[in-house]
Amino acid sequence: MKRVRFLLLALFAFTLLALAACAPAATTAPSGTSAAPAATAPAGSSTSGDPILIGIAVAQTSNTALLGQEQVIGAKIAEKFFNERGGINGRPLKLVFQDTAGDEQGAINAFQNLINKDKVVGIVGPTLSQQAFSADKFAEEAKVPVLGPSNTAVGIPQIGEYISRVSVPVTVFAPGAVKAAQKLNANIKRVAVAWAQNDAFSKSETGVFQNTVTDTLKLELVTVQTFQTTDTDFTTQATNIINAKPDLVIISGLASDGGNLVKQLRDLGYKGLMIGGNGLNTSNIYPVCKAACDSLLVAQAYSPELDSQINKDFRAAYEAEQKKAPPQFSAQAFTAVQVFVEALKAIDSKSKLSGMSLDQMRQELNKQIITSGAKYQTPLGEIAFDKEGEVIQKATYVAQIKMNADGATGKFEFLK
Amino acid sequence: MLYGDGVGRTSVCLDKIGDMNFGLLLQQTLNGLAIGGVYAIFALGYTLVFSILRIINLSHGAIFTLGAYFTYTLAGEAFGFNGVLARAALPLGLPFPLAMLLGAVLAGLTGVLIERAAFRPLRTRNADPLLTLVSSLGMAVLIVNVIQFLVGAEIYSYPANALSILGPLPTAINFGNETNAIPVRTIQIIIFIFSLVILAILTYFINYTRMGKALRAISEDAVTASLLGINTDFFIMLTFFLSGFLGGIAGTLVGLSVSIAGPYFGIAFGLKGLAVIVLGGMGSIPGAVVGGFIIGLAEAFVPANMVAYKDAIAFALLFIVLLVRPRGLLGRSGVQKV
Repeated sequence: MKRVRFLLLALFAFTLLALAACAPAATTAPSGTSAAPAATAPAGSSTSGDPILIGIAVAQTSNTALLGQEQVIGAKIAEKFFNERGGINGRPLKLVFQDTAGDEQGAINAFQNLINKDKVVGIVGPTLSQQAFSADKFAEEAKVPVLGPSNTAVGIPQIGEYISRVSVPVTVFAPGAVKAAQKLNANIKRVAVAWAQNDAFSKSETGVFQNTVTDTLKLELVTVQTFQTTDTDFTTQATNIINAKPDLVIISGLASDGGNLVKQLRDLGYKGLMIGGNGLNTSNIYPVCKAACDSLLVAQAYSPELDSQINKDFRAAYEAEQKKAPPQFSAQAFTAVQVFVEALKAIDSKSKLSGMSLDQMRQELNKQIITSGAKYQTPLGEIAFDKEGEVIQKATYVAQIKMNADGATGKFEFLK
Repeated sequence: MLYGDGVGRTSVCLDKIGDMNFGLLLQQTLNGLAIGGVYAIFALGYTLVFSILRIINLSHGAIFTLGAYFTYTLAGEAFGFNGVLARAALPLGLPFPLAMLLGAVLAGLTGVLIERAAFRPLRTRNADPLLTLVSSLGMAVLIVNVIQFLVGAEIYSYPANALSILGPLPTAINFGNETNAIPVRTIQIIIFIFSLVILAILTYFINYTRMGKALRAISEDAVTASLLGINTDFFIMLTFFLSGFLGGIAGTLVGLSVSIAGPYFGIAFGLKGLAVIVLGGMGSIPGAVVGGFIIGLAEAFVPANMVAYKDAIAFALLFIVLLVRPRGLLGRSGVQKV
């Protein structure tokens, strides 16, 4: 019996070890040695002193890691970029990464670690709105400012005083996609909608889409289909949609499930226009729907084509590392880090950060974000925050996917 | 009823007849059979191990995933930008059918390794079967995390020309006519036929070959079988190999239909496979096949407004069957050994 017990213990220890080895632990990011130095880095700007810690709590494991990995890349580029430009008035900035995985508990654990153990001044995260509704409360209680990099569901900044986001809510950019579809096909009358019912964001997004279709544009909603983000087989939903004979299909889900629905709809003969929600806003859907991704419309909070210096610098750094144009999730993560850096700089210029306690610094940082009315020139374009912490973003975009002949690669082409 | 006649009607009318439509019925039946075939192959992997050792191998879902990744690698496809093996690819890709076969063989060998690492040490010490359940779960977690560590969480898919050996294929085959299309995805039909072939070969192997008979003897009574000169350890290894092989094949087939949705994509199948073997009767090979098709069909016939709950419905069905037949549909009542 003793031997069995020993063996069991050993097995658990081994599994834990393996997990610890595989899961990206809370480490400060190696500041991207592979990233190319941005062309415009001012020469001779160096940083010294204790680094200021900013927490990044995004999904590095689980199926949400598809989006989280893009956020990690964006954040690391920001860390290197701003440190090369003098950090926070000479003090370096250091990112502390905690993996939230794809669920609520993971996000809560990551937040608590960052708040209590790593003692960061602010947190960028979590990846999903679903997670934000659980984890953000802990930051609010501890009075630690949070910038949601990709939470676009209705109600996120309203979670609390310390909760803001750089991701423009779905209510702002979703209607643009439907109008873009009408521009491409003036005869759209019948619209089918499908959404992932186990995802808070998809629920919120489909509500906006459905209102736009029925109330704003007075189109006919011919069927509403539901699925789960973990589903892979959508033949039933696709068959139901095709039998309702829509001119436009709008899908709110994540990359893998949404991409499969797009593919299976095309396989079964659907020829009309399709709109993908924010969860499909990633080149990670190419391997899922392949050639069938072609012509999919996706509303965007970010365009790599935006003509501004910061976006060009960001894009150059991203492309040097990843050999493709940056996706929205990376741009938003970069932007969130940028807002923290610029807000901290502004505070430091008024009264030195080095003289403040951690609690003071956290409170001042939040005050600076939501009450100063400052504008930030970011890769997303100009943004500002209202008193609730909601982002005010001037421009949103609509892109249409164009797949290459190989059916494996493609690009988001931005519609004028 | 307005069977098959929906063209030009208003949407309300279409919605009403939608559920009763004969075309839809045929379509969903074929869909259900296709996914049911994969469930059956996958669940057979569980059943083989259970029938020999009376334990559930919870790492079977992870092997399913691993088989899909092995095939992807052997087909010479490159990995993505995340993970240790970023951008790596084999210098030479195998033709897809060969990659699939070899991928399944590798999955089978992984099954053998798992037997050595997680099952045999506990078996030789006569440990409680519950402990084996935990150690196989540990292996599952390990495999999934190693996959993510090596190749990231990205979605991978097989090359578009994976089945070019079968000639140019349409994406769907129309079982209706021009005006009233009843399209079924070609890949699902191929998977269904392929599953039947695999099931036939396995049935032949178990029932009509010496090795198959030896396996059956061990599953009846391992001690007596070993007294009769059957090398039990070898056949246990063979069982794990076959189980892993079937899991790997199922993983590749699903990957072919819906892409490899990341290291976690076998988990849902792992659970579904458990439901299938419990429904069919633990350890019963025909039971696993029948259970697979029943669950596949049940899922396909979930009403349109309930589709997102199809997993819940599949498990509710399982629950009801177990109330009526506690040993599953084709399970035999066993003799309680004291």
